[in-house]
Amino acid sequence: MHIPDGFLSPQTYVPAYAVCAGLWVLGMRRLRARLDEETLPWLAVMTALSFVLMMVALPLPGGSTVHAAGIGLLALSFGVWMSFLAVSLVLAMQALLFGDGGITALPVNALAMGLAGSMAAWWTWRGLRRTNESLALFAAGWVSMVLPALLVALVLGIQPAIAHDTAGRPLFFPFGPEVVLPAVLLPHALVGLGEGLLTLLGHRYLTRRRAQPA
Amino acid sequence: MLELTGVSHRYGAAMVLKEISFGVEAGEKVVLLGANGTGKSTLLKIANGLIAPSAGQVRYRGEAISPGALRNAARNRRFRGRAALLFQNPDAMLFNPTVLDEIAFGPRQLGLADAEERARHWAAALGVGRHLDRPPFGLSGGEKQKVCLAALLVLEPELLLLDEPAAALDPRSTGWLVDFLAGLRCTVITTTHNLSLAPELGRRALVLGEDHGLLHDGGVEAFLGDRERLLAANLMHIHRHRHGLVEHRHFHVHDWD
Amino acid sequence: MNNPFADPGARRDRLALLAYALAVLAATLVHDPRWLAGGLTVTLLLAGSGAGGLLSRVLRTVLPFNLAVSMGYLMLAWLRTEPPWQTLLLLNLRVLLLTAITFLFVRRVNLFRALGFSRSLTYLLGLAYSQALTFRRAHEDFRLALVSRSPRRPGLMDRYRVSAAAASWYLEKALAAARESAQALRSRGFFDA
Repeated sequence: MHIPDGFLSPQTYVPAYAVCAGLWVLGMRRLRARLDEETLPWLAVMTALSFVLMMVALPLPGGSTVHAAGIGLLALSFGVWMSFLAVSLVLAMQALLFGDGGITALPVNALAMGLAGSMAAWWTWRGLRRTNESLALFAAGWVSMVLPALLVALVLGIQPAIAHDTAGRPLFFPFGPEVVLPAVLLPHALVGLGEGLLTLLGHRYLTRRRAQPA
Repeated sequence: MLELTGVSHRYGAAMVLKEISFGVEAGEKVVLLGANGTGKSTLLKIANGLIAPSAGQVRYRGEAISPGALRNAARNRRFRGRAALLFQNPDAMLFNPTVLDEIAFGPRQLGLADAEERARHWAAALGVGRHLDRPPFGLSGGEKQKVCLAALLVLEPELLLLDEPAAALDPRSTGWLVDFLAGLRCTVITTTHNLSLAPELGRRALVLGEDHGLLHDGGVEAFLGDRERLLAANLMHIHRHRHGLVEHRHFHVHDWD
Repeated sequence: MNNPFADPGARRDRLALLAYALAVLAATLVHDPRWLAGGLTVTLLLAGSGAGGLLSRVLRTVLPFNLAVSMGYLMLAWLRTEPPWQTLLLLNLRVLLLTAITFLFVRRVNLFRALGFSRSLTYLLGLAYSQALTFRRAHEDFRLALVSRSPRRPGLMDRYRVSAAAASWYLEKALAAARESAQALRSRGFFDA
């Protein structure tokens, strides 16, 4: 879901940055209220964890792999705000230190993956965990991948409508939602299965670890 | 047996290895010395055909060895069965559900009928026989190291590459490791930045300098007696000390950091 | 607190950060391909002797996504029988320009110095970055160790186990590192200031 720079109009990314900035401040306040002086080290390490979880390959038959994002796992284990801030920092780190991923796409990705993905995972899990714990974890992971994909596809899909020249030719991303939505959603619905598995197994592992004395 | 010619490697703009050439004969015990960050680990990975060097060549028994060359299944099988690498971080090598499965992984891959029997034998030889049914993740650092060694030795390799095998060990386990390696018949290349250990790991020393080139290839004792070159390799440094009111300078070797 | 303007290098990096942000904004406000091409030329000139490497890295980065989008647009325009060239030129030039500006910034500017005005932000990014590099190195080792230990191509189950072992190792190390860093901060008196 890496959008390079140049496909999102300033009408999109400037407001997105403004919304993100407000939520980053709010998120830091929430974290500090919970973690106090341990906020910075925890956030830094969770950022690194999120960074490397995005590198973990889920093997497919035939030797190929897909990559999960670990957002469901992060949100369920460490909370929505921690997950949102960590994912935002990963995106910033990738864009400005590793030169990988767009700086204009950053706020849209942070809101879609970091915030919407984390919240979707959290509420799916809360809603389903009484019915079936495993199903709830798996569904939370799947949703944390598919909902952000849907949002990013929508944001891309509205670009021709909000940014075109006088002749109606697109200035940024050139396809409408009727093209982007299926192209983005179908693969992510499949990759989401891997994300569900990672969330299920990872969360179980962490719960088991916490039950043992350190 | 193993032959490196003009091997250089860079990560992006950073030079990691500069024109390294040396050969190792069957049965030799070689110690690879160098300060942290001089490229010892990278050199072992290149010699193990895991990383393609930016320039230069690796040959093992006359065959070219590189990730590309090892895509050939027959060559890969031949080479991986003969040359083994112990990673500096043993955790990176452990992924099986039990210690027995971990050690039996190689023989099972080769379809050997007595895979489990071999695994039990080598587990006992390395003193981890009582952990066979435990997951390897829960073991102590030293025990993990031994499980990894058993998992490599079970294929009875001709060439063993060891990356800082003593780094995670306490002095007693280090002594045990030195004795164990001395008793092995295979060719061994061991990296370390621990000078006091060097003479016990081999009689020949390869030393990587801070310019990432080969600073020395020859006797261990000769190198350790050469103060200038120890300083050049950043394996020794000068300390200021105060004795009463007199300040003077010492050459200093730090073994345990 | 130390004066953020005392170090001329830090000041230069901070100005570069600002210039970078303005350049990105400008490149998305201009819709004339000639201006975008001019911007790309200036960026490559600024890169000096590294221009060739920069350009080839930019091309490699944007190629998959841009090729897919361009081919798709070409097909769509062909169906609608309108000339697509102006739009294709504009889209691709803009992507190239923005990516080139970013790569040049990453190569030239020390981000940690540029962010030196905030001790918390520098600490946060510094720790996250160094920990991420450690994890990335370990990640490479997990992959190589499996290759090194496998005389034959590893099976699906083995690859799955390695991924699981790696993921749980990262979780474990992350928890330990977070606790340790918090203790280190406390002993350095970071919270007393």
